[in-house]
Amino acid sequence: MEKIIEVSDLSYRYSEEHPYVLKNIHFNVMKGEWLSIVGHNGSGKSTLAKCLNGLIQPQKGTVHVGGYLTSDEAHIWEIRRLVGMVFQNPDNQFVGATVRDDVAFGMENHGVPRDVMIQRLSEALRLVKMDGFAAREPHRLSGGQKQRVAIAGIVALQPMIIILDEATSMLDPEGRKEIIRTVRTLHKERGLTVISITHDLEEAIHSDRLLVMSDGQLIREGAPRELFKSTELLRKVGLDLPFAIKMRQALQKKGISLSDNALFQEELVDELWTLHSSM
Amino acid sequence: MDITFEHVTHIYGQKTPFEKLALDDVSLHIPSGSFTSVIGHTGSGKSTLVQHINGLLKPSKGKITAGDVVIRANEKKQSLKKLREKVGFVFQYPEHQLFEESIIKDVCFGPMNFGVSDSEATKRAEESLNLVGIPASYWHRSPFDLSGGQMRRVAIAGVLAARPQAIILDEPTAGLDPKGRQEMLDLFAELHKRLSMTVIMVTHNMSDAAIYSDQVIVMNDGKPLMIGPPEHVFLQTEQLRRVGLESPETMLFLDKVMAKARKKERIPAFTIDQTADVVIQILNGVKNHV
Repeated sequence: MEKIIEVSDLSYRYSEEHPYVLKNIHFNVMKGEWLSIVGHNGSGKSTLAKCLNGLIQPQKGTVHVGGYLTSDEAHIWEIRRLVGMVFQNPDNQFVGATVRDDVAFGMENHGVPRDVMIQRLSEALRLVKMDGFAAREPHRLSGGQKQRVAIAGIVALQPMIIILDEATSMLDPEGRKEIIRTVRTLHKERGLTVISITHDLEEAIHSDRLLVMSDGQLIREGAPRELFKSTELLRKVGLDLPFAIKMRQALQKKGISLSDNALFQEELVDELWTLHSSM
Repeated sequence: MDITFEHVTHIYGQKTPFEKLALDDVSLHIPSGSFTSVIGHTGSGKSTLVQHINGLLKPSKGKITAGDVVIRANEKKQSLKKLREKVGFVFQYPEHQLFEESIIKDVCFGPMNFGVSDSEATKRAEESLNLVGIPASYWHRSPFDLSGGQMRRVAIAGVLAARPQAIILDEPTAGLDPKGRQEMLDLFAELHKRLSMTVIMVTHNMSDAAIYSDQVIVMNDGKPLMIGPPEHVFLQTEQLRRVGLESPETMLFLDKVMAKARKKERIPAFTIDQTADVVIQILNGVKNHV
């Protein structure tokens, strides 16, 4: 697979009086993958995300996005077009008076010609299922709808990568599902690379790969199935475990002999059932 | 402190084009010393409901009784201050409201606003900070140097320093990481138990509502759809789904196990441990049956 982001020996601190909040981070993101970044609050996840589209510049190390170096100012707009970012608070990312204006804003900034803009606008709104809301005022929408409009604004710029920075954490369960569904569609149909910073492990277990951050360091990386075998380590760095794993451990403690394989609830139910039928 | 709603209606923007019926003839009772959770879809009226309990909103019609304070529609607001002293309100992201130069000063601000003397306010602030677990060595530091979870604790200490009899929590764990969430919930359970405080929690997390509360109020369309103990409310999967709510994840998991076992009778279980017991029970039951 092709590398789309290369982070190499990155360290960052907010100022010289402060300690490093990111320490010697090294990883790649592959084109078309869904990568989740998990870690306790203050572990450096969000700061790391801001390094990936040049919003902040590391003091040490480099970040390449689609071949461009983020510290190279000549290409910063190209990088920002390639990497769209959805933030946590749906109320903090609106500029337009209507949904239509808001989605168009990014394209105007990037000098997209008007006829192309009109076409992309309706396409982007259709993709996030907000086409019926083009003339509405963003502040009258629900949190989930607002985040979908934010995603449409990004999609309209035809990025290669979308970063969700706890984009669902302020939403109700319904809104959360809407967003994940929308991004999954984009991931599948458009081959969009997704980087999701999240506390929601039920979401994270569906990703291709996970990075675990703790105290500014990248302490683990791997496929969810591998990674969630290190339950003790994850607990130690303040992370929760996926429901199926907690359930499996509780059952094992009560004397039910189960393998350590199940990651999804369905797998655990199947295993329980196989075990039970052979008893 | 007993809290009672009698035929309470609230209309936003009355006599404007944006007029909206947010509470529709609500009657309910929150017993003194209970832990009540309020759940419901966004826009169901949860927040409007709890904002009436400490007088942030006044009813358009009807009557609210909280302890010995009575709030009626169309009344002048003289008793609101008394009500606000008795009912603390922890808003969403309360740490955004911190503003003082030191933690201790910030916590004193609340009680001093209610007319408490400097020395008494300091005493209460110290008590509250101990309750929420902020060590004394931090008290004279700036609240802005704390972590998000700690800042939230300081903000909660500020509400507790007014010594309320009831406390309203609006999505108190939003934005915290799993460890921070757990610590926050433990704190409320502790306040409820140790200080016999009446706790009213608005939440989107069904598991939290199920595990921590004695009573659950399900709001829909400005009205309570169900009021009852979690063991009752969370068995009504169909009704909950119809108003856009899911059951706690333990119940959803049990449903999957039951579907395999072709069993229908649902047993409420909300903690992982209880759920494991029920799973074993189901497995054994089926085995014995065969």
